[in-house]
Amino acid sequence: MVEYLQSLTPDLNTWLMFTSALFALGIYGMLSRRNAVGVLLSLELCLNAGAVNFALFNRFWSPVQVDGAVMSLFVIAIAAAEVVVAMAIFVALFGYRRTVDVTQLNLVRE
Amino acid sequence: MVGQAVANVLFYLIVAVSLWLAWSVVSSRRILRAAVALMGVLGASAGLYLLLGFPFLAGVQVLVYVGGIVVLLVFAVMLTRSQELLEDHPSDLRHKVAVLAGGAFFGVHLWALRGMPSARAPRVSLPASDTEMLGRALLSTGADGYALPFEVVSLILLAAMIGGIVIARKTQPGQAATTEPVHPLAADAALTAAGSAEQLAESAPAPVSPPVREAAHG
Amino acid sequence: MPDLSFILSHAWLIPALPLASFLLVGLVLRPLHKPLAGAVATAAVFAAAGLSWWLAFDYLHLPKTAGGALPVLVPTSVEWLRFQEGLSVHLGTLLDPISVMLLVVVTTVSALVHLYSTGYLHGEDGYGRYFTFLNLFTFSMLGLVLAPNLVQMYVCWELVGASSFFLIGYYYDRPSAVSASKKAFIVTRFADLGFLLGILVLGYYAFTIHAGMGAAAAGQQALDFAFLTRPDVLSQLQALQGQFLGIGTLTLAAVLIYTGGAGKSAMFPLHIWLPDAMEGPTPVSALIHAATMVVAGVYLVARSFPIFAASAEALQVVMVVGAFTSLFAATIGCTQDDIKRVLAFSTLSQLGYMMFALGVASYEHPLGYTASMFHLFTHAFFKALLFLGAGSVIHAVHTNNIWQMGGLRKYMPITHGLFLLATLAIAGIPPLAGFFSKDEILAAALHSGHTVVFGVGLLVAGMTAFYMFRIYFVTFWGERRLSHLHHQDDHSHDDHSHADPHESPAVMWIPMAVLGLLTIGAGFVPIPEWVRLVPLDGKLPEAHHGVDLAVAIPGTLAGVIGIALAWFFYAGDPQRANSAVLKLGRFYAVIKAKFYFDEIYLFVTKSIIFRLIAGPIAWFDRMVVDGLVNATGWVTRLGGTAVNASQTGQVQTYGSWLMSGVVLAVVVLWATTRQ
Repeated sequence: MVEYLQSLTPDLNTWLMFTSALFALGIYGMLSRRNAVGVLLSLELCLNAGAVNFALFNRFWSPVQVDGAVMSLFVIAIAAAEVVVAMAIFVALFGYRRTVDVTQLNLVRE
Repeated sequence: MVGQAVANVLFYLIVAVSLWLAWSVVSSRRILRAAVALMGVLGASAGLYLLLGFPFLAGVQVLVYVGGIVVLLVFAVMLTRSQELLEDHPSDLRHKVAVLAGGAFFGVHLWALRGMPSARAPRVSLPASDTEMLGRALLSTGADGYALPFEVVSLILLAAMIGGIVIARKTQPGQAATTEPVHPLAADAALTAAGSAEQLAESAPAPVSPPVREAAHG
Repeated sequence: MPDLSFILSHAWLIPALPLASFLLVGLVLRPLHKPLAGAVATAAVFAAAGLSWWLAFDYLHLPKTAGGALPVLVPTSVEWLRFQEGLSVHLGTLLDPISVMLLVVVTTVSALVHLYSTGYLHGEDGYGRYFTFLNLFTFSMLGLVLAPNLVQMYVCWELVGASSFFLIGYYYDRPSAVSASKKAFIVTRFADLGFLLGILVLGYYAFTIHAGMGAAAAGQQALDFAFLTRPDVLSQLQALQGQFLGIGTLTLAAVLIYTGGAGKSAMFPLHIWLPDAMEGPTPVSALIHAATMVVAGVYLVARSFPIFAASAEALQVVMVVGAFTSLFAATIGCTQDDIKRVLAFSTLSQLGYMMFALGVASYEHPLGYTASMFHLFTHAFFKALLFLGAGSVIHAVHTNNIWQMGGLRKYMPITHGLFLLATLAIAGIPPLAGFFSKDEILAAALHSGHTVVFGVGLLVAGMTAFYMFRIYFVTFWGERRLSHLHHQDDHSHDDHSHADPHESPAVMWIPMAVLGLLTIGAGFVPIPEWVRLVPLDGKLPEAHHGVDLAVAIPGTLAGVIGIALAWFFYAGDPQRANSAVLKLGRFYAVIKAKFYFDEIYLFVTKSIIFRLIAGPIAWFDRMVVDGLVNATGWVTRLGGTAVNASQTGQVQTYGSWLMSGVVLAVVVLWATTRQ
């Protein structure tokens, strides 16, 4: 049953509109959040939207292969690596600066 | 027709839940609540994978993303607990810029999609399991195999793990990591040399470093 | 190639030893242990000298070629730079009579000078530095001597120039030494430019010929001496039609190469650096500025003699410049007061001798070539001895001025004897070395039909005897003049300047004694039999034997007259010399001022070049070029200040810019790809 559901779902553009909305929300979060962890959470939204897009195009354009799905897997793996490093940085940063507020982290300029 | 109705209902349901949760991810004042909402969004995406016919991908999404990454995020939030971390108020300007950027992105996308030919997914007989196909694709060394990227990703994960451990080691401002009071190996050596548990207890580091405790109280 | 003995096939060891010692002493020993540094440097050169003698022995016992000449060998040749087939540069060793001869001369004199220096510079601060550069010089000179092609020769040529620069400026706290070293470097560099241009001109045409010869030139490179001196190559070079300012290509190349040689050998008008180079320590003057480096120019002309022989005009230039320099320098030498400067002008004069000997040589009258090399050989020994003797004197009395010396005969008997020996040798008194070689040169000039040059040679021989005995008499005879002055006016000097001058230590007079033996014996070495210009067909005619009395008698007579005149003016009543000087008056003053050549050069460089050319260029550089550079920096800084505001350092600002960029890129993409 599940195998056939995909051909009954709405057309590609509807899917894409949804993933763009997800991505746009992620952008909004990345730029508006002051908390670095919040920025990271929003970033995950964007990554997730991208991963879904890979699977989406795979299913709509070449359904008998899995190359897009492989890319989705890689996106998930890279996201895992990125989160580990980012969280380690935040923990260390918090140890030094007592804050993870990205609006106060402007050491690059100084 | 029933199938189509079911599919549509499922799709729009997931979309609605996703968008609502995503909104709370980016707008919730409390970071923990945002993290939980993200968990929901990612779970909903797992549902989308299922709907697209990728049960294995859905499983990975739940296991790795929801179960791994978000839990890590939550842990990190808890470890660096502070009042400031839990609250978040975007400033007005920042809010406007963000809305503009996100809106522009979305607008451009819609605009681009408008002229794009669209179709429903082709109705073909799918392989019984995407798991087998994904497995073969990932481990195949042939022309369309992904063995090399797969290995590279595993290296990246290893590097990220080591990097994460090194970076997050407990260090004080102005104090290099190498000058920690006692290195575990040094403690072992002291134990063997003196055979005294007291010595070890004396030299062992405090479980929680004082500044973090202060911050928690403050 | 016949089976070569070990040393013949490993001739590269000879320059390698001083090189290794240079690196060891310069990089390791110099700061650690001074005496050890000196000992290692000296030992290395002595070892090289031993190998050279061994090599010369083996070389002379090689089977001769069909024409009766000693063979020409290239036992080592390593490709260093490869430009093109036929135009790659090799590093290697070339053994032929002149290179073997010079090998022996350079290593022997260098070894003795090294030994002498350990005494002469004992206890000085720059001791290690001195030996480092002396080693470097020995290495480069040997590389120059052994060079099988023009490029290696040029490289070593510059290296000897650099080591000469370092050693002239050894006393770098003395402004005079600093400016002398700069002068030497700049003047010789200027001449080397000519050498380089000559190499380029010759290389260009030789390579064209090489390419046209195909298999006939296989295994040879266009810039190898072996290739350049092939008769068929020379005839093709001669046939070149190219003209530059009315000069044929081959002549142009030869004259340009000669310019380099003239700079190094201090030929007129590039002679001005050599007298000033006497600011260096005296052993350096003995080794570099008398015995070895300055003869590199003569050697260069001799080495590429077939090229010069193919161009009569070039040889004419060599002859005229050589003869003129010889006379010119001898004239100045009669008037100088500084013992080392007199010796320097005498070196100039003798170098002119060697040069004009080459200039009168040709394939019809090859004697000049032999004579020049023979004189180079003997001159190295007695001139080094003269310098070392002068150094010994200077070491004892702490002045260079001959009028502050005098009467040293009594205090320094060994130095006196050896100095007298060398002076007699340079004056051409038989049976000392100088007699034989000078005789050969005069004979070469006479028999090749250059009577005027012969006359000049004879005159110079007399003048040489005169000015050399002038300094000899003034320095060693008469009354002591210096130490009384010291007693009166300066009591703060340390002990040995108060005391009577005393003989130099054994480490200094032993090398001098060895050179003395060589001065006596060098004339009997059958160099004229070994070093001969091989005719183009490779068949040597019968050797010229014995002394030509028609030349030897006037030559010796000129020397004796010169000595007599010197004795008349300087050994007896000093008034005789003074009145003669007064009679000559203005003329004498002009000569004493070295014909004002330094002043002329200064005027040309300062008033003409600096003011009219360098000045405007400097103004342009300061105002326009620097102005542009400053403007660039100023604009950049202004721009940076303006843009600085956008750099908030906050990641979200950058994120916003990134997003606007993405949106913009999509819009642009869409707008440009729309049909």
